[in-house]
Amino acid sequence: MGAKKASAGIHAPGKRLLYGIPLKFVHDRVAGGGRKATDIPIALVPFIDFLITLVVFLLTSFSASGELMAQRDNLRMPTAANVEDLEIAPIVAIDAQVVTLDNRRMADTRTLADNPNLERIEQLVQDLETLKRNWSVLHPREAFTGVVILQADVNVDFRVIKKVMFSAAQAGYTNVSFAVNEGGGASSE
Amino acid sequence: MAGVSVGGGHGGKKSVDHEIPLIPFIDLLLCCVMFLLVTAVWNKLARIDANQQQPGREATIDQEQEDRIRLFLQVKSTGYVISGTDGTNIDIPKNGDEYDMEQLREKLRDRREQEPNRRDLIVAPEDGVIYEHVIAAMDLVVGAGYEDMSLSDGAHL
Repeated sequence: MGAKKASAGIHAPGKRLLYGIPLKFVHDRVAGGGRKATDIPIALVPFIDFLITLVVFLLTSFSASGELMAQRDNLRMPTAANVEDLEIAPIVAIDAQVVTLDNRRMADTRTLADNPNLERIEQLVQDLETLKRNWSVLHPREAFTGVVILQADVNVDFRVIKKVMFSAAQAGYTNVSFAVNEGGGASSE
Repeated sequence: MAGVSVGGGHGGKKSVDHEIPLIPFIDLLLCCVMFLLVTAVWNKLARIDANQQQPGREATIDQEQEDRIRLFLQVKSTGYVISGTDGTNIDIPKNGDEYDMEQLREKLRDRREQEPNRRDLIVAPEDGVIYEHVIAAMDLVVGAGYEDMSLSDGAHL
């Protein structure tokens, strides 16, 4: 009884399509059978050529600058042609509303633009000094470069830029890199 | 799968036919394409460098530099002015509402021909000038060969 039950599970395979059951009409149809064949070969070699071309194009246009800085929705950066690659540095962003340091609010742009006096932005100076101290702790054997990246909207008044630069200089950041979109700029006109 | 047949395989010799596994190769390429498309950055960001000529900057200008003629490009609301401590004063007024970039480029080129070894120039924008025009002027200055460009406050000139 037990042996009979066990053998019920395993048995010789039956006929299979296109082997035991030849389905001749399928063969005829695929081969054409006097009409147009329905067997369409996929052109793999041009497909691979296309993929390789695409990979090469994407690799050549690969840029890591997007990792250092993101383009903001409310901030339109100017375009310039004579530029260099971005480096890692604290980013001061200035849009129409607010001045931020690494996405932390420092001051209001409107307030800075309305005040004609050259005054330092205390919050910005303090935070940059903290960053400078942290940098010195993390890189004890390297000289401090004092680079800060300024990412400002095209319509910002230079007075605001001047105050931010003044505050950065007070904190020891005397080298300013202006973030721009690489493109035609003024030189290629 | 694709195959490469170069004959042989007869007379007890080892066959030299090889199967190239195309499907895994296509899978790999598709993965590469997907990764590169996801990580692609279409707008390339870059920088224009400038030193500061401001009260907050530590004194690094030595006497020799002080004695040297200093060249300024003032960006005013009325146009550009190229001035120098040697008495140079070239006024480039606006062309309507637009800054005359072409004329500025020509004047900078002329100045460059007079002093081919000079690499420093101080850009000094005025309050009220918008940032886009300052960057356009700085771009022209660097393009004209003044790579040691500094930025100063135009109100002090």
